[in-house]
Amino acid sequence: MSLLDQVRFALQALRGHRLRTALTLLGMGIGIAAVVLLTALGEGARLYVTDQFASLGSNLLIVLPGRTETTGNMPFIGGTPQDLTLRDAEAILQRVPRVRRLAPLAVGTGRVGYRDRRRQMTVLGSTSELLEVRRLTVAAGRFLPAIDADRAAPVAVIGRTVQRELFREENPLGRSIRIGDWRFRVVGVMEGKGQSLGLDMDDVVIIPVASGLRIFNQSSLFRILVEVAAHAEIDAARTEIIALLKERHNGDEDVTVLTQDSVLSAFNRILGALTLGLAGIAAISLAVAGIGIMNVMLVSVSERTAEIGLLKALGAAPASIMQVFLVEAALLSLLGGSFGLLAGFGGARLLAHLLPALPAQPPDWAVGAAMAVSLGAGIAFGVLPARRAARLDPVTALSRH
Amino acid sequence: MIDLRGLSRHYQVGDQVVRALEAVDLSIPDGDYVAIMGPSGSGKSTLLHLLGCLDRPTSGSYRLDGQEVAALPEQDLALVRSRRIGFIFQFFHLVPRLTAAANVELPMILAGVPAAERRRRSAVALEAVGISDRAGHRPDQLSGGQRQRVAIARATVMRPSILLADEPTGNLDRASGTEVIELLERMNEEGLTFLVVTHDPEIGGRARRVVRLVDGRVVSDGAPA
Repeated sequence: MSLLDQVRFALQALRGHRLRTALTLLGMGIGIAAVVLLTALGEGARLYVTDQFASLGSNLLIVLPGRTETTGNMPFIGGTPQDLTLRDAEAILQRVPRVRRLAPLAVGTGRVGYRDRRRQMTVLGSTSELLEVRRLTVAAGRFLPAIDADRAAPVAVIGRTVQRELFREENPLGRSIRIGDWRFRVVGVMEGKGQSLGLDMDDVVIIPVASGLRIFNQSSLFRILVEVAAHAEIDAARTEIIALLKERHNGDEDVTVLTQDSVLSAFNRILGALTLGLAGIAAISLAVAGIGIMNVMLVSVSERTAEIGLLKALGAAPASIMQVFLVEAALLSLLGGSFGLLAGFGGARLLAHLLPALPAQPPDWAVGAAMAVSLGAGIAFGVLPARRAARLDPVTALSRH
Repeated sequence: MIDLRGLSRHYQVGDQVVRALEAVDLSIPDGDYVAIMGPSGSGKSTLLHLLGCLDRPTSGSYRLDGQEVAALPEQDLALVRSRRIGFIFQFFHLVPRLTAAANVELPMILAGVPAAERRRRSAVALEAVGISDRAGHRPDQLSGGQRQRVAIARATVMRPSILLADEPTGNLDRASGTEVIELLERMNEEGLTFLVVTHDPEIGGRARRVVRLVDGRVVSDGAPA
């Protein structure tokens, strides 16, 4: 009996029980669709985070005060670290030649007002270099002036949201805003950038770092963003910066230097595990679907006992009978799997459409694995019924109607 | 040529041994027309199943055209059933989801005959039993007599040497029963060995030879009374 004939025979048998076949296909389809959709979600989350970090620029190092025990995740502070100062930043730029540029960063929140409108906002203190380091663009006016980092100046650059809320239709350039008790002149408006690393860049006011430290009465920088000349030099630069700051801080290694890679790989590991976990959950539904197929095939065998007896009387060898039922089980799982794949991809597409920020895309391995598992489950769970069919005694089988 | 020597078939039912067939000696030359008769439980069907290689004897020898088939492995028995034996059943045993033509093709599919040849031979076989016009119908669209004709076409399409029929008219009215038996007799005249198990003395009376079984033993063997 050729494979083509077996497939044809199995299809005829499946058509003979449309409802039962449809329900079994549904079971397998849901299993596969779950695998595809859940891994798409996990993968989407991973890509989302990766994108967020990639927008930092891959040559970026982040220096922060305080020491973390492990590289990678968010720092927790041990001991009382010394301040990270503008002088430290200056020293890094001067003495680590691999550093192309850097932007010191002070952060605080303050009451920002224009005329009678005022609101609490995040205020970033930095230098003109921030524009390049963070890949920002100015929509109108200009960015912070290129003055010495330790010089305060009453100028501010505002984000898009800030402009809309404080100035409405008015042109903000040249106007004076209040930050706490201080007055700043708006010199530029930023292009929309949106959420970036937990900070809505459209909803900030950027002022010179020395002014920032003064109005927030801070002695330590929040971060120093360091850009190295080439990605390959990032580890060497990291070592040199740590050594330099250790020397400057009386031999205490009290800073943490994060590379985008270390943060990214930590997130990658976490989210990869998440995807795998989701796939595992989905795999359970696949197993259930496989048992469903076994169930249906067992019913099919006992219902078609007389037919099996007939096939034997007509000269079918036990191996042929076994193949007939295995092919039927494999077809059930493959067809169900294909429907599931379609549904899963459709669902992922819909998800990506509804949540454009989350690039939900099932990874290739999940699709291949899902199909392999569905086919495997169909065949594995088909073996028992098929063997039962092959071993039926033809005489007893034929006497059943 | 069928040659049975001391053929027995015993079943274990609980702690009792049922001797369905006991030391049967029987020779059936090619082209013979034999009716196997006897009361219920006399072993008629068991004998037919053994002859058709659907069942194995407990002891004794079954030589088919000189080959000992009682000891053949299952794979080879399937081959014997496929090439040398045609079965006809009281309840037709057509596959309900398949058309008449597809039912006739079934043994050829199992034997791996190419599709084009299958179609041709199935058409010829349906023609021979006189229901070419019903080739595309499914069994539930056919009368009992037509169904049994499809079954006969199916049993003969592999050109077996032996045709085994188990009460072939048992489920048919008199008229179509007679038509079916006449069809089978015509095939016997063309050289097919024809064995029929029947209760019906009228059917038995038409055979060239009647083998009577009682309690698993042959009690008479010869021309019908």
